[in-house]
Amino acid sequence: MEINRRHFIALLVGGAAGINATPLPWKFTDDIAIWTQNWPWVPVPPTGEFSHVKSVCTLCPGGCGIEVRKVDDRAVKIEGRTDYPVNPGGICPLGMGGLQLLYNESIRFTGPMKRVGPRGSGKFIAITWDEAINTIADRISDLRKQERPEALAAIDGNPTMGTMASMIERLLRAVGSPNYERIPSAEDTYRMTNLVMQGTEGPMAYDLENADYILSFGSGLLEGWGAPGRVINAWGLWQEHTAKRKARVVQIESRASNTASKADQWLAPKPGTEAALALGLAHVIIKEHLHNADFVDAYSFGFNNWASPDGKNHMGYKTMVLNSYSPDQVAEITGLQPKDIVALARDFAGAKAPVATCGKGKGYLNGSLYEFMAVQGLNALVGNINMPGGVLVCDPPPLSPLPEIQKDTIAREGLKKSRLDHAGTRRYPFSKSLIGDFAKTIIKSPKSPVNTLLVFSANPDFTLPDGGAFREALKKVPFIVSFSPYQDETSYMADLILPDHTYLEKMDDVVWPTGLQYPLYGISKPVVKPVYATRNSGDVIMQLAKRIGGSVGSSFPWKKYDDVLKERAKGLFDTQAGLVHYDGSVPAWKRLRDRGSVTPDYKNFDDMWKKIKAGGFWYLPVHAYKNWDRLFKTPTGKFEFFSTRIELAFDDYALLKNMGIAEKGDAACMPHFEPALSGADRSAYPLLMLPYEMINLASGWTPPPPFLNKTIFDNQLRKNESFAEINPKTASKYGLKEGDRVTIKSPQGTVRVCVNLFEGAMPGIVYLPLGFGHTAYDEFSRGKGVNPNDIIHMGKDPLSGHPVWWNTPVQLIKV
Amino acid sequence: MEQQKGGIYRYGMVIDLDKCTGCGTCMIACAAENNVSVRPDQTDKERTITWMKLYKITNGKEFPHTEVSYFPRPCMHCDEDGRGHHQPSCVSVCVATATKIDHNTGIVSQIYTRCIGCRYCQAACPYGARYFNWWDTYFPKGKGLERYLSPEISPRMRGVVEKCTFCHHRLMRAKTQAYAEDRTDIEEHEYTTACAEACPAQAITFGDLNNPEHKVSQLIKSPYAFRLLERLNTKPKVYYLSTKDWVRKMADNYLPGEFKPVTKVTG
Repeated sequence: MEINRRHFIALLVGGAAGINATPLPWKFTDDIAIWTQNWPWVPVPPTGEFSHVKSVCTLCPGGCGIEVRKVDDRAVKIEGRTDYPVNPGGICPLGMGGLQLLYNESIRFTGPMKRVGPRGSGKFIAITWDEAINTIADRISDLRKQERPEALAAIDGNPTMGTMASMIERLLRAVGSPNYERIPSAEDTYRMTNLVMQGTEGPMAYDLENADYILSFGSGLLEGWGAPGRVINAWGLWQEHTAKRKARVVQIESRASNTASKADQWLAPKPGTEAALALGLAHVIIKEHLHNADFVDAYSFGFNNWASPDGKNHMGYKTMVLNSYSPDQVAEITGLQPKDIVALARDFAGAKAPVATCGKGKGYLNGSLYEFMAVQGLNALVGNINMPGGVLVCDPPPLSPLPEIQKDTIAREGLKKSRLDHAGTRRYPFSKSLIGDFAKTIIKSPKSPVNTLLVFSANPDFTLPDGGAFREALKKVPFIVSFSPYQDETSYMADLILPDHTYLEKMDDVVWPTGLQYPLYGISKPVVKPVYATRNSGDVIMQLAKRIGGSVGSSFPWKKYDDVLKERAKGLFDTQAGLVHYDGSVPAWKRLRDRGSVTPDYKNFDDMWKKIKAGGFWYLPVHAYKNWDRLFKTPTGKFEFFSTRIELAFDDYALLKNMGIAEKGDAACMPHFEPALSGADRSAYPLLMLPYEMINLASGWTPPPPFLNKTIFDNQLRKNESFAEINPKTASKYGLKEGDRVTIKSPQGTVRVCVNLFEGAMPGIVYLPLGFGHTAYDEFSRGKGVNPNDIIHMGKDPLSGHPVWWNTPVQLIKV
Repeated sequence: MEQQKGGIYRYGMVIDLDKCTGCGTCMIACAAENNVSVRPDQTDKERTITWMKLYKITNGKEFPHTEVSYFPRPCMHCDEDGRGHHQPSCVSVCVATATKIDHNTGIVSQIYTRCIGCRYCQAACPYGARYFNWWDTYFPKGKGLERYLSPEISPRMRGVVEKCTFCHHRLMRAKTQAYAEDRTDIEEHEYTTACAEACPAQAITFGDLNNPEHKVSQLIKSPYAFRLLERLNTKPKVYYLSTKDWVRKMADNYLPGEFKPVTKVTG
């Protein structure tokens, strides 16, 4: 048969029609689709029984309530809780991403390890827990045998009031070392402010929800300050369109942060001059008699000029403020307009429940003591201390004290030695710990005075704003032990790793979440069984102490860490007050405002403890307002505009220079403004570099969950380069356009970044985000961007001795 | 055939931009809830999958009068395609019937196993709410990150488009619960999206726009309520609230003099 064109076409068309008529191509297409969907590297999450576990997030000191959804043994989602007093349902982006910390094997230590590669290389091999504990115990015992227990030091990033911090300090004291160092934060500055002006040791407790005028001096209300779940909720309440009293928020900050942008008013003084602005406001308030005379006349000290018993006349706060901080003078210092200062003062004093908050960003970094005093002075002027919507002075949750520490002769002798950082000495009378000076002492000594360094819940190598000084110090320390669950920069420097559980695997307490206006005791509990062979550091400390033995061992009479938590919690029961249930329809701040009473909702201690462990908290939403006659624990018994504690600490005014205080007279005992001095040649470094914090970028000890990367804009990070925010005017001076690469040089070093032209940046200042530039962790964060801490030219805050990290002179060099 | 407009339910969302603080919790809650893949580099925003995405806007004024604000943008779950058809433009163009609008709920679905990856819907969406998977979901061996994956949502493979589903599985969950309790209706609080639930400022409200009792139906009556690119007539079911004129002006492309600020506020 001849095959012609016609046949060929008929076959083709017939074939095509025939194939389409069969199910074959559809079946194949479907099969291919199913096949591509079953490639083994696309995971198929196994299903199982759903359950929910309630706990408390301890990724930051805010301590928001969380509820974790589980499928069988796996945790699959973290959500906010609505039955926890701190945060009504919402949490922050960091807390939302917590499971990526729990389950990411490449950023965690899977068990105890010792270093095999050079420091910083991250090369470790697994060892047993016994070997790890014995190694440290032997080293500590040796130090004690050599009668130099003070060569043991610890760095602790756990919240101050928590049980973990007290266990670590206890270990050091039992061994005989005074060198217990803490990571400095705004909490330290708050504590010192309250101590010198009010005589109280507690933190600042702002009644934000009940305030109607919030004057925030740099507090990053929307950047993660306080407990983010609570503060951002308060923000939502302030914005209620239908609210009878829409609150007004004023942000004082040099950059258009989220808080500054979203506030009703934004004022941008030069960074570091906030104290002058606060005193300028005080000037207007006093001059126009807008202050609360009832409070100031009867319950404050040092407002007017006064004479001491020796007949010496002293200048009062009023005279100082009226003489030195007129709107014109303050405008000169801050760069603001005098009329704005006057208007702000009138608004603040005229509000029904105004509150002035002090802080810098998230509060992970310390503030300036005189500046915080100046802001607290404003609260006193308008008489809103211990008033609804103001600053409340409350006692911490009444936890039972732990039994006396046993000390043998070696420990007693060791504790007599002076601290390496000189905190608490005549030079820094109010500071408890100064990690910057600690590092300096190590660097300066020919041989490191610290033989063994224990690091708990901290990553000072990365987080300290010290231009890399601490990293230098670490290199000199012969033996470093890290208790971090994460492979962070500091652990990479360590010789031995004893990994703690992550926050979702252990029981721990959250004593009074930062900034809360009523005492609260929270319990975080294991949401899942430990994923790896890690151990609760609280338990490890006890095992270590027992292995050292003698008085050290007997200072830790408990079997496990949970027993210590329980023992401390007994104090809560002894007060016969407080609640362990929470009704979300009556928020705690409403209870406080309405001055209701509470009847304990538990029968006996065991019942209370059971309920605390189940619900996760104990809280006391009652407050004794006003109370001004008994409130202040200062030497004068009053709120001190002129701090007699500071005066006593000076003994004579010649010491002031030693303490870094430029002011020579009475003003040194009062809030005043001192320009931060960098000592650098400003003609070589004409600009300033200021690090800033973002709520969606982890800048503290906690590793960044990869989810956060989704929220970072591409003018903040592109590929591996981070951006500096620069005002277009400043940039044009240097011929810089959007996206240009630039080297930022400070006396401490250089970093290379891209330029993001941002109108919200103050001209003359280069802003760098905190949280980029990790050299540890995994591909999600390692090598992405730069860490501004590396080039910070650290100054010293007068009186407190804490780092001044907001005054780094820099120059820009176009690449 | 003309489909009947408006089913029994019309789920929608109201986002109060005065309350929104730009924290990004909604984005993360969404990604965590819906097993969205996170790759090591998330800076190429055209290839980064963010069902809920924050747009940062500024008022363009000079220092110190600069203001920043944010638009959280989920899928708008449009009712129409702008030409009067009762289905959104992405549904109109889909050749594989991989995306549909459910007229009983107003939810625009995405069925990964049907999607052939032509990306037509992505081109048709005026809001950029659809994302194409250039790679398989990223869960390298040895990391163990797949342990947090939720079994309610299948992780996506290379070559399909995905987008916000208004957490449709949560509606399923609520319905199952109601069924088990012998109820035919579900309450307002029983079904909400992960972003609305997570927002620490309570800026996002979710509910049934057809139900006058639901908070969303009351909120959209505000003179400050608006939608994105409203004049395209796609009838999005995501509304925004803002008292700031410059923010509302950013929601559409206005010719000079075209934008009308809110002058009369009632209620």
